[in-house]
Amino acid sequence: MAMAIDNAFEVDFCSYSTSTTTTTTADEDPACTWNHWGSPVVDWGSLSSERDEFQDLIESMMDDGTGFELTRLGHDHETSNSVSTDTMVADEETNGEDFKGLRMVHLLMAAAEALMGANKSLARVILVRLKELVSPSDGTNMERLAAYFTEALQSLLEGSGGGHSKHLITNGPQHHRDKHREADMLAAFQLLQDMSPYVKFGHFTANQAILEAVTHDRRIHIVDYDIMEGIQWASLMQALVSRKEGPPTPHLRITALSRGSNGWRSIGTIQETGRRLTTFASSIGQPFSFHQCRLDSDETFRPSALKLVRGEALIINCMLNLPHFSHRPPSSVASFLSGAKTLNPRLVTLVEEEAGPIGDGGFMGRFMDSLHHYSAVFDSLEAGFPMQCRARALVERVILGPQIAGSLTQIYRNRNEEESGRWSEWLDTMGFNPVSISFANHCQAKLLLGLFNDGYRVEELANNRVVLDWKSRRLLSASIWTSPPDSDL
Amino acid sequence: MNSHHDNRPMCVQPDSGLVLTTDPKPRLRWTVELHDRFVDAVTQLGGPDKATPKTIMRVMGVKGLTLYHLKSHLQKFRLGKQPHKEFNDHSMKDAVAHTWYAIRMQMEVQRRLHEQLEVQRHLQLRIEAQGKYMQSILERACQTLAGENMAAAGGAAGGYKGVGNHRGVLPHMDGAMKDNFGPTLNFPPFQDLNIYGGDQHLDIQHNVERSSPSLDGHFMSNKRHGPYGGGGGTGKSPLIWSDELRLQDLGMAPSCLGPQDDPFKTGVIQIGPPSIDTTGIGKLESLSDIYDTKPGISNDGIDERKFELSPKPERPSPRRAPFQTERMNP
Repeated sequence: MAMAIDNAFEVDFCSYSTSTTTTTTADEDPACTWNHWGSPVVDWGSLSSERDEFQDLIESMMDDGTGFELTRLGHDHETSNSVSTDTMVADEETNGEDFKGLRMVHLLMAAAEALMGANKSLARVILVRLKELVSPSDGTNMERLAAYFTEALQSLLEGSGGGHSKHLITNGPQHHRDKHREADMLAAFQLLQDMSPYVKFGHFTANQAILEAVTHDRRIHIVDYDIMEGIQWASLMQALVSRKEGPPTPHLRITALSRGSNGWRSIGTIQETGRRLTTFASSIGQPFSFHQCRLDSDETFRPSALKLVRGEALIINCMLNLPHFSHRPPSSVASFLSGAKTLNPRLVTLVEEEAGPIGDGGFMGRFMDSLHHYSAVFDSLEAGFPMQCRARALVERVILGPQIAGSLTQIYRNRNEEESGRWSEWLDTMGFNPVSISFANHCQAKLLLGLFNDGYRVEELANNRVVLDWKSRRLLSASIWTSPPDSDL
Repeated sequence: MNSHHDNRPMCVQPDSGLVLTTDPKPRLRWTVELHDRFVDAVTQLGGPDKATPKTIMRVMGVKGLTLYHLKSHLQKFRLGKQPHKEFNDHSMKDAVAHTWYAIRMQMEVQRRLHEQLEVQRHLQLRIEAQGKYMQSILERACQTLAGENMAAAGGAAGGYKGVGNHRGVLPHMDGAMKDNFGPTLNFPPFQDLNIYGGDQHLDIQHNVERSSPSLDGHFMSNKRHGPYGGGGGTGKSPLIWSDELRLQDLGMAPSCLGPQDDPFKTGVIQIGPPSIDTTGIGKLESLSDIYDTKPGISNDGIDERKFELSPKPERPSPRRAPFQTERMNP
C-alpha cells in the first residue's frame, strides 16, 4: 500500500524535476524520490520504531537543521543524499508510521517553500499530493495535523480563505452554518476546557494576580481586550465575593473592547456577554457593571474612549491565547497596549502563545516552529484523552484548525520582516514594570495542571512570567506588569 | 540586675539598709547600689568564676546579707554574663543557630502548607464558578437552538431526556454533529446532565442520584461523570468526586466505550479524566487513590501524604486527589 503510493508519488514528480535519472539503484525505491527532493540529511537510523510523539520527529529534524537545507526542485542536480537505501528499506517496515509522518512534513515544508518562492503551480501540486495522504478526522495525530496545515497552506495559495477548490475540512452546508457553527463552537470550547488547561491556565493566573493587586480597593475596573464569552470573569467574581481581606465585595466594572466584526469565531455578541456576566454577578451578589468600548475599524484603541472613574483600580487584561483568536493584527495589540500605558493601569495581565526559538530561519523557521507548536497541542490532547477521537476532532476542527490557518497567515504576511517577538518583551521595553507572581499563584497553576495529564508543566521563566509546557515544548506564557511608579499622568 | 519583685511591698531595714519584702518569706531586693557593690566585690575577687558566696560576703561586708542571697545572685550573675561567652563558643552558637533555623524552616513549611491548602480550596471554587458560567452559556444556546428547531421542525419531541431521545430533539444539531458525534451532542437542561447515553448506560443513568442544582455552587451529583462531567453539555467542575463514585464505574465507563467501539456511535460523549487510560489495568488500580473514597475520609484537611510539597517547579502527581475531601455534597 505504501509502496504503491510512493510509486505514484514518484511519477508525479518526475515531470517537475530536471534530474529524471534515478542515480541510485534501479529498483523503484522510495529513496529515489528523496533524490528528487534534494532530500535533507536524515538519519533514518535514529528513528525509533516505537511510535513516539510527532513533535519529537519535528524536533529532531529541526535540530538537524534539515528544514532549511531543502533545495528547490529543478535547481539542483547534485543532491547530497546520505540516505542509504539499505537502511531505508530496512527501516520502512518498522517505521511505516514515522516514514509517512516524515514524508508529510517534508511535503509541507516543500509546499511552504514553494509558496514562499511564489511557485504556485508547484505548491499546488504538492498540496494535491498532501491531501491524498492526510485526513482531518481519521488517522494519527500527524495526519490530522498535516491536514490542517495543508488546508491553511491551500488558503494562503488562493489568497483569501475559501474559493473553488475542494476543501478538506468542511464546516457543513452553508445554510446550516450559523447555527451549527455556534453549537460547534460551544461544544468545542467546553471540550477544550475539559481536556486541557489551556484556557484556565491563563485565566486563573491573571485572575490571581488581579486579586492580589486589588486587595484593598473598593472599585475595580477591568479593560478586557478580547472578552469573548467572558468566562474568565466568572471565577474572578466568585473570588471577589468571597474575599476575606479588604473591603468586602468591591464593585467590579468591566469594559470590553468590541470590534466592528468579531468574525465568525465569536459566540454571540459582546452585548450578550455583558448580559450573561451581569446575570451571573447578580446571582452571586457581586456588584457589577458592564461597558463596551468600540475600537476603530482598523482596531486602533483610543484610551480617551474609555470611561474612567476616580479611585478605581484599573486593570488591563490581554488574552491572546487559545481559544481567543490568537492572531489579531499586531498593530491592534500594539495600539491597545501602548494606549493602556497612558492610562497608568494598576496591573497589566498578558497571556500569549509562546513561540520557540526561530533563529534566523525566516518564514521557514517560523513555519516549522508553528508545526512544532501545534503538534505539541495535538499530542497533549491525545495524551489526555486517547479514546475520545471524536471530541478531539471537533476541537481540532473548530478551534485548532482556524488557529493554524491564522498562524500561517500571519507568518506569511510577516515573512519579510524581523521576528516579531513576544508581547511580554514589548511590554518590558515599553517601560512597564514586572510584578512578581506570588507563591499562591504558582501553587494554583501547579495544582491546576495536576488535574490534567502528567505531561503538562509550569515553568517560571521570570519573576513575573510563567509558562505552560507540554513535555518539552512551551505553549503559553502568562506575564504580569504594572505601570512604573513615577510615570506622569 | 533582676528585679522580679518590684510589685511586692518592701521595707527598708534600718541597720543594714537592705530592702526586704514584707511577705512571710522575706526576699532581698537587689537594688542598684547593692548590685554595684556586689559587682565590685566580684571583680576584686577575680571575676564571677573565681568568687564564691563566702568570699563575696566577706568583701562586701554588708550586714544581713546571707550566703543564701549571695549564692542565688551570683548564679544569676554568672548566667547573665553567659551570652557574651557564647559568642566565643562556636559549637554552642552553631547548635543554637541550627535549632533556630530548623524551627524557622518548620514554621515556613507549615505556613506554606497552609497556604497551599487555601489555594487548593480557592481553586476548586473558581473552577466551579467557571463551570457554572459555562453552563449558563450552554443552556441559553440550547434553548435558542431548541426554539429554532421547534419552530422549524414543527415541534419535535420535547424534552432532553438524556441521550435516549437523541434523535428526536435537535434535528439540526444532528446534521451539524453528524460528522463528529453521530447522534446528537446534547445540551441537556440544568436538571439533567447525563451525557452518558446509549442503551448500555441507561440503567446506570437512573441509578444516579440527582439533586437539584442550586446557584450557590452545589453541583449535580452526577457521579457517573467522574471528574470531568462529560462532554460538551455540561459546565461541570472537574473536581466533583462524590462519595459513591466507584472505581469500577469509572473504570468501566471508558473501557466499555473504548476499545471495541467508537464511543460516539453509542451516543455517548464521554470526556473521562485524563489519567484514565483504557488500555492499562495498572492505571485503573491507581485510580483507587483518586476515586475510591471511603466513608472514613472526612473533611479534616488534605492528606498530606498525597499532597506533595515540592520545592521544584512541578505539580503534584495527578494521581493525587487534592480536592478529594473538599467535595460538595448535594
